[in-house]
Amino acid sequence: MKIHSIVRTVFVLMVAGIIVASYLAAQSSIPNKPISNKSGIGAQIVAQGTTRGAVACARCHGFDGASDGSGAFPRLDGQSQQYLAEQLRHFASGARQNALMQPIAKGLNDEEIDAVAQYYARLHAVSLPSRPMPTQLRDRGKQVAEVGDLSVRVQACESCHGPNGEGELISGVPYLGGQYSHYISVQIQMFRRGYRKSQQMFVPAHNLNEQDIIAVADYFEQASRPAMK
Amino acid sequence: MPQKLKEVDVVVIGVGFAGSILAKELAASGLTVVGLERGHGRHSVPDFQAPAIHDELKYSIRKGMMQDVTREAMTFRNHHREVALPMRQWEAFLPGTGLGGCGVHWNGQAWRYQEADFIYKTHIEQRYGKKILDPDLRIQDWGVTYQELEPYYDRFEHLLGVCGKAGNLNGKIEPGGNPLEAPRSREYPNPPMKEQYSGALFRKAALELGYHPFLQPSANTTRPYTNPEGMTLNPCAYCGFCERYGCEHFAKASPQTVILPVLMKNPNFELRTESQVLRINLDSTGKKATGVSYMDAQGREFEQPAGLVLLTAFALNDVRMLLLSGIGNPYDPTTETGVVGRNYAYQTQSYVPTFLGEDVHLNSYMAGGASGTVIDDFSVDNFDHSSLGFIGGCYVLCGSTGARPVEFHPTPPGTPRWGREWKDAVRRHYNHTAIFNLSGTSTAMRGNYLDLDPTYRDAWGLPLLRITFDFPDNDVRMSRFVTHKASEIARQMGAKIVVDSPRTGPFTTTSYQSTHNTGGAVIGADPSTSVVNRYCQSWDVPNVFVVGACNYPQNSSYNPTVTLGALIYWTADALKTRYLKRPGPLV
Repeated sequence: MKIHSIVRTVFVLMVAGIIVASYLAAQSSIPNKPISNKSGIGAQIVAQGTTRGAVACARCHGFDGASDGSGAFPRLDGQSQQYLAEQLRHFASGARQNALMQPIAKGLNDEEIDAVAQYYARLHAVSLPSRPMPTQLRDRGKQVAEVGDLSVRVQACESCHGPNGEGELISGVPYLGGQYSHYISVQIQMFRRGYRKSQQMFVPAHNLNEQDIIAVADYFEQASRPAMK
Repeated sequence: MPQKLKEVDVVVIGVGFAGSILAKELAASGLTVVGLERGHGRHSVPDFQAPAIHDELKYSIRKGMMQDVTREAMTFRNHHREVALPMRQWEAFLPGTGLGGCGVHWNGQAWRYQEADFIYKTHIEQRYGKKILDPDLRIQDWGVTYQELEPYYDRFEHLLGVCGKAGNLNGKIEPGGNPLEAPRSREYPNPPMKEQYSGALFRKAALELGYHPFLQPSANTTRPYTNPEGMTLNPCAYCGFCERYGCEHFAKASPQTVILPVLMKNPNFELRTESQVLRINLDSTGKKATGVSYMDAQGREFEQPAGLVLLTAFALNDVRMLLLSGIGNPYDPTTETGVVGRNYAYQTQSYVPTFLGEDVHLNSYMAGGASGTVIDDFSVDNFDHSSLGFIGGCYVLCGSTGARPVEFHPTPPGTPRWGREWKDAVRRHYNHTAIFNLSGTSTAMRGNYLDLDPTYRDAWGLPLLRITFDFPDNDVRMSRFVTHKASEIARQMGAKIVVDSPRTGPFTTTSYQSTHNTGGAVIGADPSTSVVNRYCQSWDVPNVFVVGACNYPQNSSYNPTVTLGALIYWTADALKTRYLKRPGPLV
């Protein structure tokens, strides 16, 4: 079942890639004004992209960073600025393998990466409405998230990602609370398969089983985020 | 009437690193083993998980992982003519309790000792003659050499997944490591930790002064690592909560992370927590142990018969258990007869607070327990002492273990201890101050020893252990010399204020120095100056083995755990390949 959803995600990503690629082709012919106003750089890239191949972020992630709710794209609002910038650099270098994001990240220079990261880090979208979740699954997710599981030697996710998965802004640990469940579970799979590399995530991603991954991802999607940043 | 239990082959007193490894080895060779642990059972999940584990008040201030001082303490005095008083609060050192022992709350500083450490008396006398020794010093050889222990060091380091860079591979000096270390047969299992900013500044200054800086070997794992027992460790997250805390990440090597799960799976092993051992029982000859007596949490007394007793309950507790059980002759400092309690030593620790100024941002809260850059140039006998008038030395470490806010607020001398000025000073210096840590040799001295207190008793009615200790003049002179050298490095770093603070006597129990209590059940080749033979076997009761830092005849500059690990595997090997085939004295 969930394997299906991963396949579906990969498919969605591929289709999106094609769409974005066509946008890119179209966009590169539109002359952009040179970027002058530094504080406005982030917003401008989000809205318009860059002439060097970065498509407008808002097309997938929205102006408010909430993305489209499909879970194919993560929400970015209020995410750690350091984390966002680091991920863009990893996309560009290929350290984080993603066919969709790599050309976009490559189309941003250092200053633009920081500007875009800052733009989304400063936003705060509303939390997702809670959707029903089987009690057993929820309990299991909560267990892994808050306590960990000794039998598979996985520590509590919240040991790094903070209470309610709020993240650690300064040290660049991303928030999980309120993130799309589907996105979280796909990312754990990416760690497991080596498309994303993180020493910290290596063992948890390998040791959690499919059901646990879904449980913990669902749990975090429903975890409430603080009302204000 | 104590209930007599079914006999087992082996009973282990204290389930920390030593207890769990020995139990694992013996249970795997088919023996039935019971592990008696006086504290609670505890595991990485759920007991060490954040945020609950990051509680400074509970663990650092109230010493949540330590022995319950209201039930079992030690008494202390500086000199044998004084009256010892019980310690009511742990400060100078922190004896752990609970499953995993001190292996849970240690920092993971993973040093080997030098070749000279194991032949200290021979080495010092050969190099400098006997006259360099103050008359009251009592240094001696171990009766086992570094070369003999090397394969066991290697094994323990691979169990822990120690992180570092070899500086001496089979005698060949390797770039990037410690060129002064004893030769090792293999590279470390994992690469060293990340260098802290303070460490990078220290490295530069130390190099400018002609020293040999390197990253401290660490048991805070730096990458996913599966040890030879099949236990997987996670990389350290540099969370800054290592010493005095359990690790939530499966990153710090502890019995829980490297060996206990393997031991617990073996049906030959049974763990009994909350089991306070009262004594090792001897037969009528006094030459053979018949098992142990212990009390459970409900106050029920049990007798556990066993063919072999392994005493692995931390240095101080090991010595006390020998004294309570009447194994070996207690040491008398006036006549210098007897051996149990003799050559108690410690660690001569000093610090150099280095105030670098507000434009240097150290972010020292990003740290593992063993993060740090260090020089070994002034350790043990790594430098020429012939004109110095003392023996021994310190390593000089610049590193932070976490700069946790409740504990870490360095202020320069002259700052008020409270109030607005103090708060301002903390704000001004918190992120801009490095503290050098100098860990120094502790030379055994005639008057420093352990025995049973004549007055004070524990919750079970048994005499407390009495510690009689002060710093030998030799060690005070040593500390002064090396601390001054360290201060020169601090000044070379461009520090605005350097507080040169060598260790001076008298020793007091009221400020933290080190939990490296050593000696009292010393290893050696001569039964008149040692408690156990070179295989950690009691000279007096051959079916009792004592394995702990209590075996060290004097203490080296280094943290003792990895050397203890070597002794543990060395002893396990002697038990399996020699003792079990022919029980009896191995020497």
